[in-house]
Amino acid sequence: MSLRLPPVIMDNGTGYTKLGFAGNNVPSFVFPTVIATRDSVSTSTSGTALQSKPSISGNIASKRGIEDLDFFIGNDAILNSKTYGLHYPIRHGQIDNWDQMERFWEQSIFKYLRCEPEDHYFLLTEPPLNAPENREQTAEIMFESFNIQGLYIAVQAVLALAASWDSNKTKDFVLTGTVIDSGDGVTHVIPVAEGYVVGSSIKHIPIAGRDITYYVQQLLRDRNETSIPPEDSLKVAERIKEQFSYVCNDIVKEFKKYDQEGDKYFQKYHGIHSVTGQPYEVDVGFERFLGPEIFFNPEIASSDFLTPIPEVVDNVIQSCPIDTRRGLYKNIVLSGGSTMFKDFGKRLQRDIKRVVDARVKKSEELSGGTLKATAIDVNVISHKKQRYAVWYGGSLLGSLPEFYSYCHTKAEYEEHGPSICRHNRVFGSMN
Amino acid sequence: MILLDYHNVVIEETLKQPIVGLEPAVLDMTVVDFDGVSYRISTPQSKNIIRFSMLMQCFKELIQWGAQEMLQKEYGAYILPQTESGYDFSLEFDLQKLPEDKEERETLVKKVSLIKRNLLAQPFERAFEQQAQYEAEEQTNPTPILMQIHYRDQETIYIQAQYDRVTVIFSTLFKEETDRIFGRVFLQEFVDARRRPAIQKAPQVLYSSKDPPLEIRHLTEPQNENVGYVTFVLFPRHFVEGEVREKTISQIQLFRDYLHYHIKCSKAYMHSRMRARVQAFLKVLNRAKPESPTVEKKTITGKTLVRA
Repeated sequence: MSLRLPPVIMDNGTGYTKLGFAGNNVPSFVFPTVIATRDSVSTSTSGTALQSKPSISGNIASKRGIEDLDFFIGNDAILNSKTYGLHYPIRHGQIDNWDQMERFWEQSIFKYLRCEPEDHYFLLTEPPLNAPENREQTAEIMFESFNIQGLYIAVQAVLALAASWDSNKTKDFVLTGTVIDSGDGVTHVIPVAEGYVVGSSIKHIPIAGRDITYYVQQLLRDRNETSIPPEDSLKVAERIKEQFSYVCNDIVKEFKKYDQEGDKYFQKYHGIHSVTGQPYEVDVGFERFLGPEIFFNPEIASSDFLTPIPEVVDNVIQSCPIDTRRGLYKNIVLSGGSTMFKDFGKRLQRDIKRVVDARVKKSEELSGGTLKATAIDVNVISHKKQRYAVWYGGSLLGSLPEFYSYCHTKAEYEEHGPSICRHNRVFGSMN
Repeated sequence: MILLDYHNVVIEETLKQPIVGLEPAVLDMTVVDFDGVSYRISTPQSKNIIRFSMLMQCFKELIQWGAQEMLQKEYGAYILPQTESGYDFSLEFDLQKLPEDKEERETLVKKVSLIKRNLLAQPFERAFEQQAQYEAEEQTNPTPILMQIHYRDQETIYIQAQYDRVTVIFSTLFKEETDRIFGRVFLQEFVDARRRPAIQKAPQVLYSSKDPPLEIRHLTEPQNENVGYVTFVLFPRHFVEGEVREKTISQIQLFRDYLHYHIKCSKAYMHSRMRARVQAFLKVLNRAKPESPTVEKKTITGKTLVRA
């Protein structure tokens, strides 16, 4: 081919799949990672036939027609959920069902991206601590089924770091930093040193977007907001969270502000009843800042997880090798939808700085004033691409001319076999 | 999904918001389509002016077969005289000068997303017209031109009109040995399926690997082991003017991608069969494990130990 077509960037997450081409700022498609197949229907109708032949292969071999093409993915799958069975091929970030995933890829490439995989390089993502066997499987499908030209499997956290290069004032391409990735289900704090994830120090926080939504819903319920139709209450809570929430500096002061100049802060949410079509109004008050506050004061919403996020971040960095810690404090990167709250980065930076400064002061005191430490730089970086940071980082890397030299090509795959994809070279060794 | 869509979904989705919904947004996007076509959608000066450029390998050949008139006819008002550098063809949409009617704007978006199909349709249209002309003039032995479209590197579509039919030949390259075999089995199905009474009127499909069909044998092309040739023989009933003709064109111009898509689907299907079989074997193996004899265990005091 006279020109090189842009590499395809696929970020298959537990909840959503982000698809697009390298060089673009936003993914071309964002849809749920879900596949709707006829399987469940056919097993229920042919239940008696199955019993006489209990092997699994019997079931699949009996399909002589084109049933294997009868499926939908993404939003189309949800639209067809009445007649098809929904399956989620990715669980906890890892691919759970390879059959479904292969077909999911098939349709994402041919129906949505409309590209001939034989002409493209692919960049896929994986969660930290993914098993190398999964990479092998992925490579097998990509090279054997789709005949792709080349493959690079990148760790999501590293891509999130790469996504912050654009907004980083220093303009140097560092691959050391702490990634706070907060989606809908779970929040991870992942330290990355020189492009390698420090696996033993990763921490998970069971507070994420969904918990904030539940909390907001609870607040609305406690206040007797009767105008919300009960069947929509979760959706309304989610909308309120997305539209009005922000992070405050100090809850006590914020409460006072609301009490004194209420009309300046209280807002109204306008909704339309999904069944009757009647418009309704909901007052939005303290939940504007209380929702995101559960990251910083988890005790207000949950009873079993009580460590605030700045402390978790500090603990994570303290458990990393000592020579990386300064770099990790200097570059704390946010990624995922639940880090999009206004001033989230500012508050986090202030709180972490406080913890760190206190510790430095203490150690100076203990040394009896003989040692003087250089101040530790704490930087939380937020940028506009935060929501799809992982995908955007992939798009940035994919558009670099060096990208091709980091990929495993089809020729290499054929020479060495799938084990070649167990290791993917880090982009840090770039310069 | 058996048939591929004719239009490009990304283009449709991207243009829908600004053109149909009239919500200007900053755009800068590279999009690709089958057969190495790439597009760029951008807003170079202001949010209100969307530029759409297209790069296609065989664009010049298609112009030769009359694509220019089609472009003028379909997209005339929006063609940008100064084509964006590095691209073959540019359109520009001023959001303030779009048609008032919402439906009209929707058809415009659809039309843009079908641009590749419309371009590739030109040589087919031309061949169909030529055939009609031969038939009208009763030229039983015409000397038609053989239209060649090099739509990919080393892969070509040949179209030739004859007195009573139009022959379309695809040459396609199989990079993999397995693909060639899958392709052969798949294309064999076309021949077999034609025996079924319901689809006897379908066009004849011939498949040959290695040896090019007689129509194009005189072309001294580099002979390649991995090249396959698929010949369609279309009779006038397959391209009755109107809906039938449009559908025939839409489907035939995507045939190469359709073939490769199904080769990949068949492989995916084979893989799931293999996985299921491995699982079944593993079950058998697990059953074959010798059971550890259950020995009654006694504690030191003589009581029987029962494991919960």
